[in-house]
Amino acid sequence: MMSILTPTAPPTRRPPPRTTRGPVSRARSSRARSSRGPTSLGIVDIAAMLLLALLVIAVLTPSLLAPGDPLGTATVQALDGPSLTHWLGTDYLGRDLYTRIVHGARTSLSASAVAVAVGLAGGLALGIVSGYLGGWVDAVVSRLIDVLLSVPGLLLSMVIIVALGFGAINAAIAVGISSIASFARVTRAEVLTVRTSSYVEAAQHQGSSRWRTLIHHILPNAVGPVASLIPLQFGGSIVWISSLSFLGFGAVPPHPEWGLLVAEGRQYLLSAPWLLLAPGAVIVITVLAASHLQGVLGRIRRTTA
Amino acid sequence: MRSRYLITRILQAVLVVAITYLLTYWVLFALPGDPVANRLDNPQNPIPPGQAKAIIEYYNLDQPALLQFLITVGRLAQGDLGYSLGTGRAVSDMVMQGLGSTLLLALAALVVAAVIATGVGLLAVFAPWGPVRSLARLVPSLSLATPSFLIGLLLLQIFSYQLGWVSSLDTESLTSLVLPALTLGIAASPSITQVLIQGLTEANGRPFVRVLRSRGLSHGAIATRHVVRNGSIPALTLLALTIADLIAGSVIVESVFHRAGLGYVTEQAVRSQDGPIVLAVVLLVSSLYSLINLATDLLYPVIDPRISITESRLGASSPSSRSTRPAQPTLTEGA
Repeated sequence: MMSILTPTAPPTRRPPPRTTRGPVSRARSSRARSSRGPTSLGIVDIAAMLLLALLVIAVLTPSLLAPGDPLGTATVQALDGPSLTHWLGTDYLGRDLYTRIVHGARTSLSASAVAVAVGLAGGLALGIVSGYLGGWVDAVVSRLIDVLLSVPGLLLSMVIIVALGFGAINAAIAVGISSIASFARVTRAEVLTVRTSSYVEAAQHQGSSRWRTLIHHILPNAVGPVASLIPLQFGGSIVWISSLSFLGFGAVPPHPEWGLLVAEGRQYLLSAPWLLLAPGAVIVITVLAASHLQGVLGRIRRTTA
Repeated sequence: MRSRYLITRILQAVLVVAITYLLTYWVLFALPGDPVANRLDNPQNPIPPGQAKAIIEYYNLDQPALLQFLITVGRLAQGDLGYSLGTGRAVSDMVMQGLGSTLLLALAALVVAAVIATGVGLLAVFAPWGPVRSLARLVPSLSLATPSFLIGLLLLQIFSYQLGWVSSLDTESLTSLVLPALTLGIAASPSITQVLIQGLTEANGRPFVRVLRSRGLSHGAIATRHVVRNGSIPALTLLALTIADLIAGSVIVESVFHRAGLGYVTEQAVRSQDGPIVLAVVLLVSSLYSLINLATDLLYPVIDPRISITESRLGASSPSSRSTRPAQPTLTEGA
């Protein structure tokens, strides 16, 4: 996790301007690999999308998938193993683990969504400003990105949590701020590439104002690669937020949250391993599905581009 | 020319650390919700008035914010990092006490990460059997999707509780380092592996490989003597920069394995909103990161003679316009 600890920010400093080497070479290699049509979907693609659809339902109406009460205790059946009535077993208070995981999806995933929104908004703003205006603005923003990169994401999130206080939303904001740098870097690189392209030059010759050029020509063309970062960052945010919850800085018990469920399960590693394995597996599979979706979206984008 | 470049880069690194310190200080102390004031006002755990007066005087809470900051920086220049709000001990003592054990853990984890990245990277690019290559390319995605606390708990479950190879209670001996280092190393490996796979694939596709093959060199000789040397530089950079991440990651790993290192000190500091300690840890990690970043930038021309620092690059922030810098690794690379 942590790309460890930092799934979000591989510590590249400034990307060399005007090169899109990463995406381009990736595009080339994957096109060479897939002999089938780039838009046709395989079994794994469909499974990943189905899973994500289920998760969306779990976020919107969790009781549709798990009608039980996630907080309903029944000490008689505490630490029961997986069975027909309790698919994934019960925890130390007899609460149904499946129900708690489904209801926990709302906290975990909406927190990740908040984190991505914060990172995207901050990163877009910084990247556009520095890429489009250039000059000393670019120098200042680039140093700011350097600063954000010089503190590992987990540590940066914890600094922000110390300032904001504990809680699921605060953890989400903290993770979001930590991921601003990676969004900003990609945005800046894209804006730099697009800004010097011939159609932007043509628009400027035709008297398009700076603002109009930015909104109508540069943004629509620069936003694609930035958007394709979203699923990756979303997956990374799930891992980070669950880590913060695991440490006790995020969501507050008894409310179910995936990282918190693992933290509760660690006490019963020997007697009831499912309490750790089930929520852990859900986190891993969700992140894998999100990152797989990123690959699918990238394929579609390349063929339609 | 070289000395001008050197000075620019050193100044840049110092500037980044200084801004990091300033911003962290501002976030921790100047924003509303000042941890010192919170600590003093905490009704559950009142501080005796005499002690409170000493704290107020030490932190100059009755002075304007700017003056407070200047005093703090002045003390920092003398090597005084202040006192912990939670324990009242000197911050430098607490950080130093934990640093040794955590650095040892981080270095061991670095070795683990390097071994994993090399093994998986070589398999992913050079394995003679297609499915092995594809499988190896999935490894980084999988380890990136697995939170480190989960890796740690699973290792603990398997090797400590089930097999009984390592005691889960022992945190002193060298064998107790194995599982935490594995956890931290596995967690740190995916981005390095991805960048290595990318670098090796790219180097493997260069024309010189075909030339060497046509001259009759064996696959093994081409791979080890030429492709690896050409394609591993970005991964090496990333590996060096990972040390900062490893220290941050020790917060989770030390919590899982109940080790008393810098990570534990940091975790406790965050839990008790102990600003001075958090500030010191940020300063330490950020300095380390900037120092390593600077060192790798300056060492490039030594490692790779093709890269030279020329006049035209003086304005750029690093001599890395070529393929030395790792491109953005992704979860789906090769998946």
